[in-house]
Amino acid sequence: MDPRMCRKISSSESLPDGENEEFEVSNIIAPQESEENFLLEGNLGRHSVTWLDDDQIEDLDLNLDHTNLFFHRVDSADIIYRSKKKKCKMVGKYVMGDVLGEGSYGKVKEMLDSETLCRRAVKILKKRKLRRIPNGEQNVQREIQLLRILRHKNVIELVDVIYNDEKQKMYLVMEFCVGVLQDMLESTPSKKFPQRQAHEYFTQLLDGLEYLHGQGVVHKDIKPGNLLLTLDQMLKITDFGVAEALDMFSPEDTCYTGQGSPAFQPPEIANGAEQFSGIKVDIWSSGVTLYNMTTGRYPFEGDNVYRLLEAIGRGEPAPPPQNLAPTLQCLLIHMLKRNPDERPSVQEIRRHDWVRSRPPLLSGETVVGPRSRRSDELHSSTVVPYLVERHYASAHHFFTERELRHGK
Amino acid sequence: MFHPNINEYQLTSIIAECCGGVAVVYSAVYKPYNENVAIKRYFVDKSKEKANLIQQDILTRKELQHPNILPYLTSFVHGRELYVVSPLMNLGSCRDILDRYFQEGLPELACAIILRDLLLALQYLHRQFYIHRSVRASHVLLDSNGNVRLSGLRSAASMMVRGRRQKQLHSLPPPDHDNANLMWLSPELLEQNLKGYNEQSDMYSLGVLCCELANGAVPFAEVPTTLMFTEKVRGSRPQLLDCSSFPEPLDDGEMKSMYNTDSGVGDSAEGMSRLRAAYTARKLSDNFHHLSDQLLQRDPERRPSAAQILNHPFFKQIRKTDFLPSLIGRVKPIKPDPDDISALILQEKLSEMEIEKTTEWDF
Repeated sequence: MDPRMCRKISSSESLPDGENEEFEVSNIIAPQESEENFLLEGNLGRHSVTWLDDDQIEDLDLNLDHTNLFFHRVDSADIIYRSKKKKCKMVGKYVMGDVLGEGSYGKVKEMLDSETLCRRAVKILKKRKLRRIPNGEQNVQREIQLLRILRHKNVIELVDVIYNDEKQKMYLVMEFCVGVLQDMLESTPSKKFPQRQAHEYFTQLLDGLEYLHGQGVVHKDIKPGNLLLTLDQMLKITDFGVAEALDMFSPEDTCYTGQGSPAFQPPEIANGAEQFSGIKVDIWSSGVTLYNMTTGRYPFEGDNVYRLLEAIGRGEPAPPPQNLAPTLQCLLIHMLKRNPDERPSVQEIRRHDWVRSRPPLLSGETVVGPRSRRSDELHSSTVVPYLVERHYASAHHFFTERELRHGK
Repeated sequence: MFHPNINEYQLTSIIAECCGGVAVVYSAVYKPYNENVAIKRYFVDKSKEKANLIQQDILTRKELQHPNILPYLTSFVHGRELYVVSPLMNLGSCRDILDRYFQEGLPELACAIILRDLLLALQYLHRQFYIHRSVRASHVLLDSNGNVRLSGLRSAASMMVRGRRQKQLHSLPPPDHDNANLMWLSPELLEQNLKGYNEQSDMYSLGVLCCELANGAVPFAEVPTTLMFTEKVRGSRPQLLDCSSFPEPLDDGEMKSMYNTDSGVGDSAEGMSRLRAAYTARKLSDNFHHLSDQLLQRDPERRPSAAQILNHPFFKQIRKTDFLPSLIGRVKPIKPDPDDISALILQEKLSEMEIEKTTEWDF
């Protein structure tokens, strides 16, 4: 299925970003004082430097390998790289690190609190960009308002909000997380988790949802892309952009707008109902999330958003695969009832057999680790190189091709 | 059994203000036994966020029993404040002793005794699956009977989470009011990556404490927090300062930046040169250097465990007859202070009293 269907309707596409310079690591090749070094075009001055990106360097390497009869071979110790200077940038008391991900509203970067040394993530929002997204500014305001009052181990914590009027930017400083369930699912061949792992996350999702609903907050966009994991495998519900605080004095949980991601929307929204139960929307989306985590598929598919919504509107989900535990099949069917009133409450789900007993890790199953494309295996701080630049500014790091190849 | 009732206690002096003004420690007499105790009084209102930490501290101490860990006697609420009662450690904390009496550091034998006793406490804590996460001189308390006790259980973390034993933890300990605690923390703990940290992190902190006790000053005290972090991550190891590690030709500025030997007291040029003379004139044993070097290794797996390092030859210098209070004879025990008593009586009438921050004595 088109991955766009897992995003929000209101912000179907993220906009390309113009300024994106500080984390592109490129290398310099500096010509040596050797006469035979004509690799770098003869007309270059003695001390000039050619900037090459990684692909060009690979091309060069290929050339060296296959055509060394025609080219003078350059010793790998003579090619000198300088690691690209990482310019240390501070926002308030925070030191900026690398980009962790990109949302529809802007970039998410790593940061380090220079006083407590606590790792943080920051959502950087640009006014200019927000204006171009329908309800963009409103959604952000709502998210900030909600996150300021919410405090639960399974709900992302908003630590700080910094405004920069001059740059027209807003920084939402949040708890640091290492992975998104969506990315983890995509990283596996089967696009699913072992049941044991899915169970671990699903029970935490229930804890978070129970808290939110108790606080009168409906998330309305529960999906693997909005579920993050901390270093110690704690699940955090994030992205309250389309969430809604219910009227505390009303006995009903009626909502009027649905802006969540199509694939996770319930039939009532797909059919354009004018009002619906907010809580049962979250139950449905959690059901689709559980379906997706345990099968690698979606209960409804469609070639495009309209077909997809049409299929959801009919409310006949693809039956869960027969190889799933019968209790899990039963839970999924129950959560994906077309009639919202027939869907279970969080408390009922908790009492369900599949939830109450922890499924074992079967032989041959491996737990999927948190991963992100931009970090190393240990998810070490990406701020350290910037700090090195800041505190030892004079120390440029030079290394040669040979050292690079020998894994120096 | 100590009664949880303020009327059974007579406050006798103010020992210290701590936790950034959130608590005050008093010495007191428990009237039924005529026994000296220390009472820590928390202004819970001032610290809404920290109330659960105080609770954690009490719960942890109730669970633990070891001669080298500060016991918990009782606690109660009186007025708007919470009182926690512990035995009185009448020589105060090692940080106070360093600041007031031993700015150039404690004698090596005294360090050995203190470190050995702390290792026994850590060995016990680690066997109970606790990581202390706040081993520092202000959490090491001494009394005139020769007892050495570890306090500061507020930041301790259990490796048992929801009934399951964790191989590693990842989160930073709760921040203290001035974030000073970070100076003692291990590189792997500060890194906060997927590798996490385990009880070996306390062994690194103990290494930092070695330097603090021997040098009088904490390594990294005068550098920006982010530089301290970068230095640790890059594997730089603090050192014990003596004629072998402390070369003569250094001016004050260099010394300050390289060794951060600024205790706050020796800030003046005179104080600096006096400290420098003291360092260059002394020779600490090779065993002591080796011990601190072992503890401060970057790789936690290469650091010895508490149980292993107790067999280190450094501790062989301790004789059965060595008595810690006589090794640090110039330290005066905390006594009832008539001025304090009258002030305390006055305070009964006043709802609050401002106390100047003079010492650091946490437990």
